[in-house]
Amino acid sequence: MTNNTRHTSSYRDPSGHIYVENEIIKRIIFPSYFPQYEALKSANFFQKAFQHKLLIPHEEIENSKTHICIQPEQIPFITYPYEWSFQQYKEAALHTLKLQKYALQHNFSLKDATAYNIAFYKGSTIFIDTLSLDFYKENTPWRAYKQFITHFLGPLLIAKYHGVEFLKTMSNFIDGVPLKLIASLLPAKTKLNPFLYANIHLLAKYENKHQEADVVQTKQAKLSKKGLFNIIDSLYNFIKKLQLKEQSEWGNYYQKTNYSDTAFQQKSTIINDWIQQLQAKTVIDVGGNDGTFVRQITSKIDYALVGDIDNNAIDQNHYIVKKNKEQHLLPFVIDLLNPSAAIGFQNTERFSFLQRILEFQPEVTLALALIHHLSLTGNVPFENSAAFFASFSKNLIIEFPKRADSYATRLLNSKAEFKAQFGHYNVENFEKIYSEHFEMIAKKEIADSERILYLFKNKTT
Amino acid sequence: MQFLYFDAGLGAMIAQALVAIVAGVALFYKSITHKIKTIFGLHKNTADTEVFDSIDIDDSTIENASKDD
Repeated sequence: MTNNTRHTSSYRDPSGHIYVENEIIKRIIFPSYFPQYEALKSANFFQKAFQHKLLIPHEEIENSKTHICIQPEQIPFITYPYEWSFQQYKEAALHTLKLQKYALQHNFSLKDATAYNIAFYKGSTIFIDTLSLDFYKENTPWRAYKQFITHFLGPLLIAKYHGVEFLKTMSNFIDGVPLKLIASLLPAKTKLNPFLYANIHLLAKYENKHQEADVVQTKQAKLSKKGLFNIIDSLYNFIKKLQLKEQSEWGNYYQKTNYSDTAFQQKSTIINDWIQQLQAKTVIDVGGNDGTFVRQITSKIDYALVGDIDNNAIDQNHYIVKKNKEQHLLPFVIDLLNPSAAIGFQNTERFSFLQRILEFQPEVTLALALIHHLSLTGNVPFENSAAFFASFSKNLIIEFPKRADSYATRLLNSKAEFKAQFGHYNVENFEKIYSEHFEMIAKKEIADSERILYLFKNKTT
Repeated sequence: MQFLYFDAGLGAMIAQALVAIVAGVALFYKSITHKIKTIFGLHKNTADTEVFDSIDIDDSTIENASKDD
């Protein structure tokens, strides 16, 4: 039961692991973790942490001498750290600290603090690795401290000083950014800040000095609980205030660019009508900006994924999700021209974006104001983009800006002398090639614009 | 405690004592300036744009939450 179905991303912790049974995620716990598990249970810590929305709720489904099985609440879609916007990344860091402080107050401690222990679920962050909770031993430092710095504080600081694109490179650092690299990337002036000096530069120096040391010596390090609280509180205060240099102010982010109000209204009415017609419950908007069009849908949606390449749009979307306490909307950063790959051991630890989306099986895919970017900025032929959408979409609502559209014209003109080679970008070609994969159910011109909306049904599903 | 399945880093374990001292001084400074600002009424009203709450969790909210359900 266990080894055959062990989840490929869950092999690091010997206390137990995740497995999948009938498409349900479950967790097996081995006797080495029984003392912690029983203590957490009898101290009512699990229940309290569930109620405070710190830890993913679970139910115990099996309890024997050889193993315990728990079934956590199922999360419909997991996004990875390299798909989080800056504010989402911050929130994940703060959530980890909050749980660590709460655990310490109850004499427990997180034994690891990787960014992969956090997921976005029902509009907020949630800690998903139940077995990370361990006993707190008096006068010992936090052994996940270095992990916290390399997974959270370091990446956030580099993003602040060098641009938010850095967060995307986290797919290369599955075990966190090396301390030496963080320290060398930060500007020299950060050494003058006592907080940054201590948490980054001094830490990197100590790590460098002691890298050859015997692990047993780790036990010699001592720190009072008060000291531990100081570290956690100061990390929390600092990260809470972190802002990007280029961060736009919270506010009305969505710019209607070449849209008149009538066109905007009509576009959202058409989309809304089609979604109702399809009675769709799950949606993915692959170029969803701040979620404007998904929020215009009036029928009840169970889950909507809203991806966009723009960090600020996702930050804005996440902000609205939090303000409105929306539970069914999940914003994330994605570059469709280079979506997240499968990474980790055997390339199976973290799944590719495509695989996750295939499993999620959205009933409708929205691709609004996107095809001209794929075709004219990314030079992706219609054949390829049609095959891409057809690989995971049952239904596709796609917007096609004609050559006369101001944005499409601008992209075409930027091709300068190669413009002639982009003659294939036109309505006839688009319809012809997309018809190979899709059946055209409806087609509507958006009034007062040079754009057309299509409703396509996948021929193969 | 279980054996380590990742390297906690001896340097990182030792450094925490110093990090904690720096953090302690910073938090003390923060609480002093907070008190001074309170006396002179210099606090900015940031409640409207505040997204992240405090790190501290109030267990008494559990009872309230369960009543709402």
